[in-house]
Amino acid sequence: MLTKRYEVQKGPEGYLPPAAAMMGIVPSEPGTSLVEGQMVLQETAMEKVADALLQAKNPVFFPGPLILWAWKEGVEEKAQAIKELADAAGAKIIPMPDYRPKYPMINPEIEINPNHPNLTIWHNNIDVCLFVGVHCHYANIALKLIRGGTDCYTIALCAEAGHEDAMISLRDVGLDQIRQITEIVKKRKETQK
Amino acid sequence: MITQKIVDPEKIYDPSEKESLFITGSEAVKEALRRANVDMAIAYPITPQSESMHLAGDLFAEGYIKEYFRGENEFAVMSSVAGAAMAGVRVFTATGGPGTLRAFELFPTWAGARLPIVCSFMTRGINSPLTIQPDTIEMACLLDSGIIMLHAETAQDLYDMILRAFMIAEKTDVHIPVGVFCDGFFVTHTRDTVEVAPAEMKLPPYDAYSSPVPAMDMENAPFRHMRDPFVMKSNFISYATHASWQQEVMAACERSRKYIQQYLGSLIETEHPDSEILIISSGTAISQGREAMKSARAMGLDVGLVKIKSIRPFPEEEIRLLARNAKHIIVPEFNRTGWMAREIKSVIEDTTKVIAGPRVFGGMTMPPESILDEIRRCSK
Amino acid sequence: MRNLFQVSAAFEDIMPAEYKSLIENGPFGGDKGVTDLGTFKELLEEHPLCAGCGLALSLRLILASLPNPEHTIIVGSTGCSALAFPQAAVHNIHSLFGNQNAVASGLKRALSLRFPDVVKDVVVIAGDGATADIGLDMVMHSWFRQERITTIMLDNEAYANTGGQESGMSQEGAVLNMAPKGKNFSKISVPELAWASGCAYVAAVTPANPRKLQSAVRRGILAARETGSSYIQVYSPCPTNYKFKPNQTIEKVKSREKDGTYQVREYISDEAQLLFDRLEEVKNG
Repeated sequence: MLTKRYEVQKGPEGYLPPAAAMMGIVPSEPGTSLVEGQMVLQETAMEKVADALLQAKNPVFFPGPLILWAWKEGVEEKAQAIKELADAAGAKIIPMPDYRPKYPMINPEIEINPNHPNLTIWHNNIDVCLFVGVHCHYANIALKLIRGGTDCYTIALCAEAGHEDAMISLRDVGLDQIRQITEIVKKRKETQK
Repeated sequence: MITQKIVDPEKIYDPSEKESLFITGSEAVKEALRRANVDMAIAYPITPQSESMHLAGDLFAEGYIKEYFRGENEFAVMSSVAGAAMAGVRVFTATGGPGTLRAFELFPTWAGARLPIVCSFMTRGINSPLTIQPDTIEMACLLDSGIIMLHAETAQDLYDMILRAFMIAEKTDVHIPVGVFCDGFFVTHTRDTVEVAPAEMKLPPYDAYSSPVPAMDMENAPFRHMRDPFVMKSNFISYATHASWQQEVMAACERSRKYIQQYLGSLIETEHPDSEILIISSGTAISQGREAMKSARAMGLDVGLVKIKSIRPFPEEEIRLLARNAKHIIVPEFNRTGWMAREIKSVIEDTTKVIAGPRVFGGMTMPPESILDEIRRCSK
Repeated sequence: MRNLFQVSAAFEDIMPAEYKSLIENGPFGGDKGVTDLGTFKELLEEHPLCAGCGLALSLRLILASLPNPEHTIIVGSTGCSALAFPQAAVHNIHSLFGNQNAVASGLKRALSLRFPDVVKDVVVIAGDGATADIGLDMVMHSWFRQERITTIMLDNEAYANTGGQESGMSQEGAVLNMAPKGKNFSKISVPELAWASGCAYVAAVTPANPRKLQSAVRRGILAARETGSSYIQVYSPCPTNYKFKPNQTIEKVKSREKDGTYQVREYISDEAQLLFDRLEEVKNG
């Protein structure tokens, strides 16, 4: 039986870290988010995202296929908004164009793969990463691997129900929420000047 | 021409105007499917399931279901169902007993592929010599297959659970199959009063693009995608990838708890839960348990009942807490192995409280007196 | 071309070159074929199959022959080809060993429901073990039901991925694992089974004649769109398990054609022939 509440903290957590859901972390309700496994208001989580990105030495965004490819209406706008957020936060962007186990190998300099996300994180010394536009199944697989083997702090901006395996998880994220985070980041930078 | 209106699921689940039907369990499956906005159903006969898929065929002929055919065997049917689900439609099938085992390879595959298939299992014996009679032993085989397992006690449960199973299965953070089990013949072939929503109502359609994995339609990104590659042969750390994948499938089942609570009230139902003696089980064993409880209480004995509706995920915490207060836990079952007693023992603190029986199998009925005998023994 | 094959403008600068070249110089939306190989970015660019693998060559030719890759969904099966398919730039499915035609049946019908106005080509590509042995019932039943799918067998006459065991498609007398004294029954005549099962178009071809192979793949897919099931068998010898040199694969194919132990052949239903004639007329104006 659990004696201490499980916290979704940055790793390296160990050889095979558990899925946060199996440790009692429940996906957040609509309108709320998860920060290190605790349910908080979405606005609070947005502030935390801004903090994490601005405090990072090398923050990197990992946009996935749902936003890299302009496959449906509204994607282009969201992609643009993500790019603006990355620019505001001084973050680099490394894409996850698909989920295949790539043969013979990936180039960790310019791409990330959900089957071994640690390679890209280690290669580029990434201390904070942000997942966006990655199908939930593959995002969760990768987020656990990152928690297990790296000390990278993970943020997930999810258009669906969120990711309890990330350290900060926002759910139902659309264009407005992305722009809101960008505004917070910009405001923070103003006050820090 | 069928005219049905898409309504909020809550409105179908709790309609202000209900209709009472006196129908068999198989007909309850039909009434659930009629309102479930099912795109496709694929059938294969096996007793005692066959009638439910005949009736699904009738719904196809009437226009409620858009596509339907009979496959060549259960393994093939479960494969075709997988193909349909990967193409992004809402799909239903049903089987039971030997059919379940013939198709077995598919169930962990459905879960691993994150397919929100709803399958009803009308359980029967599986072992040689052949029997078509009720027996829940196939459920023991499926406990670790990765699918969500709901167990209906009555035709009403069967209707309610199938209609809700689609919404539970299709949640993005769940998106794994739901098996709705009922005890063959006892539920499928007997008539009971079932309250149903107006037939003009149907559930909202499935949205293939809220799925946690891409639909295989060459319409959604990424177009370079395989469902599902051999990650274990891909690269040097891929065993961890496979492990993380499996963990995610278990996590998906875990996440379904809150949706089961939302749509079915709870993973369990209780009557007199603070009693010294608790009868805990699922399916029609609970109906017999209830009769025994009534007789015992009439005799002044302190007996309560816990009906487990969700076998996977298992109501671990709920059962653990209930077991703390009880002195004796009687687990009646329709199978020879006593898998439910094992499940209960695996989550409670004092396993000596568990009486793993009475058990009947091979098509035998379970007289409430046999449960009452156990109650009497505990009360001495 | 549809937006599915378009990179979001904001991310154009960071997309790896191979994806951009697949869009700019790939087979989508064009009319590429086997004679264009070497001039365009192929759906399958790298794979882990053995040197000289006949299956890899056939697969490359088949993928280059697809008439409409932007609306093609492939269903594969367990075997060597399943190691290459993760790299293919089309939606494709590996479900289990042998259930490919059952999966494809459900997939095709479901896609017809979702996209009634778009032709979605569902093409099964699986090995001989998957097609002629473990999955034969499902293969044949998909033909009996006249499912609108194309079934392509990559026939390397063995279970290659599991280490070279006898399959139903091995030749009589072949000494392989699990046939230590030589196979004691003849190679299964799947094309004739397909024809008897009601396929509208059936062909047995080899990668030694890419144009013929392309014609068969295209005819098979066109027939599946409009008339019924189709079957194409492609002899794809395995140097690893049959122990010949990787550079002898095509020679091996040619010698088998010459000695008559692998016969290239084609069966066309009247209805399919009318369809091909009509399409030929349209093409020629």
